[in-house]
Amino acid sequence: MQENTKYNIPSEISSKISKWLAKFPIDQKKPAIIYALHLIQHESKYIRSEHVNAVADFLGLKKIDVYEVASFYSMFETEQVGKHTISVCTNVSCMLNGSDEILKYLEDKLKMKVGDSSEKYFLKDERECLAACCGAPMMQVNHKYYENLTKEKIDSIIDGLENER
Amino acid sequence: MAWKMKDKYNINELCYSTLSSDNPNSYETYVSQGGYETWKKILRELPDKKEIINSVIESGLRGRGGAGFSTGRKWSFINQDSDAIKYLVCNADESEPGTCKDRDILRYNPHALIEGMLIASYAIGAETAYCYLRGEFIDDVYTSFKNALKDAYQNKLLGKNIFNTDICIELHDLIGAGAYIVGEETAMLESIEGKKGFPRYKPPFPAVKGLFGSPTIINNVETLASIPKIIGKGPDWFSSFGTKDSAGFKCFSVSGHVNNPGNFEIPLGTPFKTLLELAGGMKDGKKLKAVIPGGSSVPVVPGEVMLETDMDYESIAKSGSLLGSGAVIIMDEDTNMVEVIHRIARFYYSESCGQCTPCREGTGWMFKVIDKILKGKGTLDDLKTLESIPKMISGSTICALGDAAAMPVESFITHYKNEFLEYIKLPTEKLPNDKDFAEPINNEFILSRK
Repeated sequence: MQENTKYNIPSEISSKISKWLAKFPIDQKKPAIIYALHLIQHESKYIRSEHVNAVADFLGLKKIDVYEVASFYSMFETEQVGKHTISVCTNVSCMLNGSDEILKYLEDKLKMKVGDSSEKYFLKDERECLAACCGAPMMQVNHKYYENLTKEKIDSIIDGLENER
Repeated sequence: MAWKMKDKYNINELCYSTLSSDNPNSYETYVSQGGYETWKKILRELPDKKEIINSVIESGLRGRGGAGFSTGRKWSFINQDSDAIKYLVCNADESEPGTCKDRDILRYNPHALIEGMLIASYAIGAETAYCYLRGEFIDDVYTSFKNALKDAYQNKLLGKNIFNTDICIELHDLIGAGAYIVGEETAMLESIEGKKGFPRYKPPFPAVKGLFGSPTIINNVETLASIPKIIGKGPDWFSSFGTKDSAGFKCFSVSGHVNNPGNFEIPLGTPFKTLLELAGGMKDGKKLKAVIPGGSSVPVVPGEVMLETDMDYESIAKSGSLLGSGAVIIMDEDTNMVEVIHRIARFYYSESCGQCTPCREGTGWMFKVIDKILKGKGTLDDLKTLESIPKMISGSTICALGDAAAMPVESFITHYKNEFLEYIKLPTEKLPNDKDFAEPINNEFILSRK
């Protein structure tokens, strides 16, 4: 995990975290960690030490409490990753429907191996089933579902990302 | 897509009742089908909580997340005489490989889930309920559920003193961040409490000591979404479908080598053959080789056995497997079973939380040995080692993930040993390089899972 400068949680994020805390008993602060990290990662693309420290300070928790959450859950990136996260499901149902070829096609198209990241793309090494088995093969791009994938569909999805401003 | 079958029942009767509408997830659609009437009736009549729990027991509803325990009995474990704060948690961390039924309930019929959660909260005396969705649902699935919840609040169906009664129920949406283990109910409680998802020892069971130390009931999405109609139409109506010990309807996610993969809500006890027909039959007219009938955690069943089996808890148990979450993965005659179990083993190795040694180490051993065999470098001793590992994991761990990892490996070797042996007999010129081997386990995996 990298550490750069001190991070101040922006007010729009801190007010959202405060609102989230209202869902829990008043003495419970830890339940907001996951949500806070989601918000910060959404803004900063990946979680750095200063983010962990800032969340801990804001919630009045130990840094290790926040760090263990950031490191345990697979959606939290603690290394720099590209702008768009692509997760191709390769679990059983998708594998039976050709997800390995889909992943290979994507690797070749983006000129990267699964797990790698460029400035623009992060081809995540997704091990979990993403619960769209009846639309296999499938992938998520920035957590949006794309199902019944074909090479043509992948071309058009990547073209869409390439052409965006 | 509700259509009549055999003039006996409609498919998609409960959890998928709105699927045939243009705007399935809207409040209006749900209300037009009589939605929230059961909840309103409860608010008008304020029945004894035990009456509702007894109805759920009588209906025969069993937990649809995978364990299949009587839902009503689970609710009855809450001590109603205690003044302790009680919680209801809906497990929407759908992540058992092959399972995608709950996602469709959350996307297309979220109000049935909300109404079910309200009735369950009333029955167990909970004033706070949480619906925990898996992190990967953060986009459209989460949005659909949140919008439905907003509509329910706007129509004053929940909150403080609902319909001017003494009943107060707050329902909160929560989102996870990616971890299969959090689908285990006590790991989910840890995750809600803002910790890593390590399952807890049981006892104490959550109904005694659960979320924030308070009595808690955790139910699956499908279980809770079935409740409004079970209470509305009565337990006898529900139990008139299905079999004696497997009452009512169940959602099955049929995936793999079929023409029309999809979710089908049908009475338990329906022949597997009928379900396969609903899913459009085998793709490319190929022969059925094997079926995983309840998600990747359950033993695989040879196709010819499955074709004689009915889709209920007892029949599937008789055929050597479990109904589990109702994820039916279909494999045709060309399927390479070593590749399939390799993928399954990789999954459990990645998702073991690392708390218990037999699971943390055992899932890694199993994956590494299968990987070695698949790459043509396996020996007969390796196969023997592989056969011995599941026995060392099963029953030796805090939660069921260890068993879930062990059972499929055992069953794949039992039924398809010849395929493993074929890899072991590969001629030497086909042997791959050392660099093709899986990377060894290192401590980093245990510490960070990255």
